[in-house]
Amino acid sequence: MKVAYFSPFPPERTGISEYSELLVPALRERVELEVVPRGRTSPARADVSLYHVGNNPDAHGWIVEALRRRPGVVVLHDFVLHHLVAGLTLGRGDGEGYLGAMQRDAGVVGRLLAHGVLDGVVPPLWEVRPEDFPLAGEVLEHAAKVGLVVHSRYVLERAVAAGYDGPVWRIPHPAWRDPGATPAQLDGAPVVGCFGNLNASKRVPQLLEAFARLRESHPDARLLLVGASSPGFDLESRTERLGLNGVIREDYVDEARLWSLMAACDVCVALRAPTMGETSGTAIRALVLGLPLVVSDLGWFSELPGDVALKVPVGEREVETLTAALELLAGSEDARAAMARAGRAYTEREHGLGRVADAYAAALEEAAGGPAVREAVLTDVATAAADVGLVADGAETGELAERLREVRLGG
Amino acid sequence: MSAEPGSTGRERTPARGPRVRIAVCSPQVPFAHGGAEVLAEQLTDELRARDHEAALVTLPFKWYPGERVLTQAFLWRLVDLEEADGRPIDLVIGTKFPSYAVRHPNKVVWLVHQFRQAYELDGTELGQFGDDPESRALRRAVHRLDRIVLGEARRLCAISRNVAERLERSLGLEAEVVLPPPQRLDFHCDGYEDFVLSVGRLDRAKRVDLLLEALAAEPELRCVIAGEGPDRTRLEELARRDALDGRVTFAGRVGEAELADLYARCLAVYYAPVDEDYGMVPYEAFLSEKPVVTTADAGGPLDVVADRRTGLVVEPRGESVAGAVRWLREHPEDVRAWGRAGKTVAERVTWDHAIERLLAA
Repeated sequence: MKVAYFSPFPPERTGISEYSELLVPALRERVELEVVPRGRTSPARADVSLYHVGNNPDAHGWIVEALRRRPGVVVLHDFVLHHLVAGLTLGRGDGEGYLGAMQRDAGVVGRLLAHGVLDGVVPPLWEVRPEDFPLAGEVLEHAAKVGLVVHSRYVLERAVAAGYDGPVWRIPHPAWRDPGATPAQLDGAPVVGCFGNLNASKRVPQLLEAFARLRESHPDARLLLVGASSPGFDLESRTERLGLNGVIREDYVDEARLWSLMAACDVCVALRAPTMGETSGTAIRALVLGLPLVVSDLGWFSELPGDVALKVPVGEREVETLTAALELLAGSEDARAAMARAGRAYTEREHGLGRVADAYAAALEEAAGGPAVREAVLTDVATAAADVGLVADGAETGELAERLREVRLGG
Repeated sequence: MSAEPGSTGRERTPARGPRVRIAVCSPQVPFAHGGAEVLAEQLTDELRARDHEAALVTLPFKWYPGERVLTQAFLWRLVDLEEADGRPIDLVIGTKFPSYAVRHPNKVVWLVHQFRQAYELDGTELGQFGDDPESRALRRAVHRLDRIVLGEARRLCAISRNVAERLERSLGLEAEVVLPPPQRLDFHCDGYEDFVLSVGRLDRAKRVDLLLEALAAEPELRCVIAGEGPDRTRLEELARRDALDGRVTFAGRVGEAELADLYARCLAVYYAPVDEDYGMVPYEAFLSEKPVVTTADAGGPLDVVADRRTGLVVEPRGESVAGAVRWLREHPEDVRAWGRAGKTVAERVTWDHAIERLLAA
């Protein structure tokens, strides 16, 4: 069975390109797989196509175009696709397309708001309120024809709530193998690490404040911030305002340096609010390394077991809870060790690459041949029923249909 | 198949708890009768012997072509075993695929095996599903069906560690290992004549051809092959090709008395299927005080055949099997000692224990 694989790949700097770089070799051991060159949207010669869709229009615009031309299995990495849709519509001068997408998501109010965006009287919604208008409708509609892969129960529930009624598989994010990196030389202890773009949605302001409080009880503590600062996010002025010392700053780093820096940390903080429904590759890497995690109690992060991650509710008392979590971990080597053990065991159990690749192979095989199998079974059963005079709307055939549904053999 | 109570000297214990009305479910491949059928029949008999009301429920099973494996499995889903003749059935015990698809609020599965062609045999010469999308999806549909119908069971047991491990590996479901005792025959030992016995259905997975290769490699060896099956013609052709006539006896399906007699007289028993689920044969050999020659990839038999304690475990090659049998011919004291040790092992596997575990709350 042949699979056409649509995804960004390195050197594109996206989490999904790293995801595919990790997954593809393992998947190739299970199915025949052709990686479709970037930008090629013509239907591939394959039994089924697999489309990785995320919120970045530069990385995923061409993939959605290919999906429109031939339905396939969609891997929905983010539930909120507002930025992607804005790029595919407004970014190409298609105002009407954006109006339509907003109307589909939020009715007349959505259309009116979209008009406001077009007229410049409403700020870009993909910047200010994307979570309220996820705009996943079109992608879900295409996915429903063949199938949908999600990483979390959170996205699954949101997709179903949005009306998705096609086949769906929940497949966890695969885990990288611990590369055994030598820890970077960093002064201070404990070292709290935060990785990824620095912006408000990563709760960096709250983290800075909580870290300032932690320094009062742990003056040698360090906060390692790794990643590019988002436009408009002035880290320096924020640290100055807090009179904060002990912050170590690195810009975007390559994979080897990332592992080395993570290995030097005692705690990893991966906060997010609002969530776009994404899974965090950083959090997965931290678990692989046995780093205790502190996360926002939101979306996929909420689904992590309590023994591998301390969860911080978003909003009121967020800073206090975050401070308490950091103090707990900073002050207890035993707690850190217990979370490290639990984290490693959890990633092995839930996120093992082989297990994830097996689940993909199963999903792709079901998607490619499942409808034909269901049709064949239904024909067989229906023929037998008709042969003995059972009519389609009778009670007996109702029983047949119910039993078929129970074991997912039909309908 | 039923046998006289007490014929092996094992005790039967009346039910200690309340009398339970039990349907034992087992598929039936018309005109075929193997270990799984024997097991279901015996379980029914043994439940009755312990004062339970037990009935054996069977349906024909055909697993080809194409989606037939699913529609035939689905037949079990339509069977209503919640009550019979106006009285409730308290418990159903599913055994082999697809009988465990039956619906019942109190379903216990004593798993003989899943549909192996959809699992570990896939992609091998013993597999059934091709590489086209429909065949691949068909195989996945079997997995999904298993996950649902095994997952809904109140209690999951497996007839061997091998079967339990396969279940855990393939579907992530845990099962308690409950070993089934062998059929009740007049097992005894009349000595150690100069032939090796092979017992079982003649299909490729039983790998009787390895024994024939061993005979071809070792001109002194003799064997008796008891059993019928689709591989018989090929095996007879192999025997002719290698000029083994006179040293190989194809005994066909033998009766209980003849089988017990063959066990009683043979030197040792050869039993080396590919990754077998369980296999009664080693236990039957042991009860006749005979060592077993098996292979390192035989699966279930390795639960009980301990190398150089109750038999020999060799590489799955003809000359290795030949070497093992030659060694046994040259060491009669070890043959006797290992046979006696095997008997001790086999006698520990009782119906009392199996039924207690199957009916446990």
